[in-house]
Amino acid sequence: MKEVVNTKTVLQVPKWKFARLHTNFSVSNFFIYGAGIIVIFIITCALFPKWLAPYSPTFMDTASTLSAPNSAHWFGTDYFGRDVLSLVIYGSRDSLIIGIASVLIGGLIGGIIGSAAGYFGGIIDVVFMRFIEILMTIPAVLLALAIAAALGPGLFNIVLAVAAASIPGYARVMRGQMISIKKRQYVDASRSIGTHEWKIFLWHLLPNSWSPLLVMATIGLGSSILIGAGLSFLGLGVIKEIPDWGALLSQGRGYLTVGWWICTFPGLAITLLVLSVNIMGDKLRDTFDPKISKKR
Amino acid sequence: MKQVNQIKLLAILLVFVLLVSGCASSTSTKNSSSQESNKEGASHPKSGGDLTFALATSPDSLDPARSGLAVAVRAFRTIFDSLVVQAPDNTIKPWLATEWKISNDGKSYTFTLRKDVKFHDGTPFNAAAVKYSFDRINDPKTQAKNAVALLKPYQSSEVIDDYTIKINLATPSASFLSNLSQAMLGIVSPTAAEKYGDQFSKNPVGTGPYKFVSWSENADIVVEKNKDYHWGPANVENKEAPYLDKITFKIIPEEATRIGSVQSGQVLAAETVPPQNIASLKNDSKTQLLKVNTIGLPYTLFFNQRKAPWNDVKVRQAVQLAVDVDSIVKTLYLGTYERSWSPITPGILGYDKSLEGETKANIKKANQILDELGYKKGSDGIRVKDGKPFTLKYVDGTPNREKRNDIAVIVQQQLKKIGIKVEINITKDVATVIYKNADYDLYGNSQVNSDPNALRAIYHTRTPEEEAVFKGLTGGSDPELDQWLEQGTIELDPAKREETYKKVQQKIIKDAWIIPIYVFPYTVAASKTVNGITFDSLGYPLFNDVNIEQ
Repeated sequence: MKEVVNTKTVLQVPKWKFARLHTNFSVSNFFIYGAGIIVIFIITCALFPKWLAPYSPTFMDTASTLSAPNSAHWFGTDYFGRDVLSLVIYGSRDSLIIGIASVLIGGLIGGIIGSAAGYFGGIIDVVFMRFIEILMTIPAVLLALAIAAALGPGLFNIVLAVAAASIPGYARVMRGQMISIKKRQYVDASRSIGTHEWKIFLWHLLPNSWSPLLVMATIGLGSSILIGAGLSFLGLGVIKEIPDWGALLSQGRGYLTVGWWICTFPGLAITLLVLSVNIMGDKLRDTFDPKISKKR
Repeated sequence: MKQVNQIKLLAILLVFVLLVSGCASSTSTKNSSSQESNKEGASHPKSGGDLTFALATSPDSLDPARSGLAVAVRAFRTIFDSLVVQAPDNTIKPWLATEWKISNDGKSYTFTLRKDVKFHDGTPFNAAAVKYSFDRINDPKTQAKNAVALLKPYQSSEVIDDYTIKINLATPSASFLSNLSQAMLGIVSPTAAEKYGDQFSKNPVGTGPYKFVSWSENADIVVEKNKDYHWGPANVENKEAPYLDKITFKIIPEEATRIGSVQSGQVLAAETVPPQNIASLKNDSKTQLLKVNTIGLPYTLFFNQRKAPWNDVKVRQAVQLAVDVDSIVKTLYLGTYERSWSPITPGILGYDKSLEGETKANIKKANQILDELGYKKGSDGIRVKDGKPFTLKYVDGTPNREKRNDIAVIVQQQLKKIGIKVEINITKDVATVIYKNADYDLYGNSQVNSDPNALRAIYHTRTPEEEAVFKGLTGGSDPELDQWLEQGTIELDPAKREETYKKVQQKIIKDAWIIPIYVFPYTVAASKTVNGITFDSLGYPLFNDVNIEQ
């Protein structure tokens, strides 16, 4: 078997390497289809919670608090008497919003900084990249935590905090791509026939450099959801009528010894979503990886 | 390469198996045996042994004058004694003072002091030390916290002879002796207080049954036996030196860890057991659960009457009718906390039992009142008046102490039923939001206290000068209430005081100034080898009688 050498080690997700190394591709396809179904299902939950949830997420059945999973409440009830299944279904919305919005914002800002630094070079490159390096010295979770603490509780503030923490990664990848592509022959050719610099930038450079960013964003989605859940777990979110998954975990934590189901199901939901998104990101990366696609 | 991956896979599986087996074994031990043991009076208490007692939060200061936290009192009550002690029946008994006389106008108290008492640093205890302690609290330079309010209306002390002291008050005060019994008015060593100055809070010296040894911030506080001690108060059996050699107060903020440490034997006792663990601890053969209701002002939600529409008694009454306190207390505390009915807790002089059962949730009536006031329900179910939606700003502090944030979540749902939208604001900075800006409609708080005079600080009309220092919790004003509260402070006949405070309680509830929620039970989970943890009248633990079976 040929050793697969991957140049983009940043994007490596070592956990799942064994799945792909088996020559039998149906196994990895099985994972990808499973992941796809899970992601689509969770998106459906977030869009149409009313169709799927058996109860209103705010309905407190005070007569049956802390009841274990049963036929009436598949995931049991929490200490308010709320149905955990309905809470998990409704909670998917905010968790997804945090993940997607922060990736979009972080990717956009990181992409702009990176492409400007890579394209213009010189002093702009130096200033932007030192700034990014300063950000990189602080671990992403810590950075998000500090920003969320400073901004105060709120869904939008969590999004901003998670986005800010993901900027450095996007910026660096985008800069590298820009530098490698701007020296290609077709760019020189285009310039020699007198194409305007902006047109070269928009028509030739951008479309050819953002595919790694797309892969990164897909994988980043998973970690953004995770960091977002972590922040609301730590109580840096707001107390909303409908808590997101991180907040649900945090609320159930004190009851772990008497009601394992309050924590377990939101925890499983986070795990499944992040795992599925990562598997899809992995697949996407393989598709864009010239070495692997050549082999197929 | 393939082999490496198989090893990885194996490792992952192994971790999984360990996790699952870990969960399984913990559930099997939980239900192992269930027996209620109440063995008390193992007749010969053994001397010796160290007690580790886990506290839920870190004390702010071990200087009684400069502390503002109940958790600090739990630690420094072992170091400091008071002039008098309050018995469980609210009568005042001698401690460092053997007897006292009150002048006819009620404005001066003459105490005769014990002659055989010494501070831990060897300084003799005498009238000068008492005068020093009280003058120190009164001196603005000391920046005393709760102690200042407790000492009011103190004016001056006169040393008559070495063991006689006369204390002069500005006005008569019915709660003065009771306040003197509190640890925050404990007597400090003048030599040590002078020597350490600001650092006295880290080097406390008193006359108590235990001597201070060390304090590592956010980790632990260690005190050791005071061998010379023989002046124990009336509320403990052992008046001599304590049986224990040492007490280590460990600070363990995480609830589950704190209780788990008792069950695993890492500490011998831990305070504030969460309600969901109380039930499971009862089935634990190795652990006992001690519980005492604290007294003072119960956890109460205060309306901010500075803001419309909360200055309207009818609106407040509607909300009072809509909040189903029974259901809140039952749901969150699983029958371990008692519901409160009055602005003061049972056990305080003048507590009005007739208020119990008086306030009942009635959504229909609440809706009716709001309809009559012209609040119309909109299409989203939220009431609107003059084009503005009816919202209520509910403020609470963090962390979620005693599940207070969860109360907010339930109230939000309950008030939705009468068309009020509740906005919950959980803030770290209660000092600014509440006491500086008064930016709330509903805010909850409680206070440990021994006398109904505590009501005055909360419900008496506040002067603009007082409001400039910090905002009161109610923002309300009622001349009749003011008059009763003033009467209660100076009235020395307990029967008449009781009558006055009953009127005060009824008025506060009838005019819906507040929604009282629960009485906080102070709970301690302790290993069954620990005997003799008792509590004083305020619910603070006492360690004089504690001994450990080997």
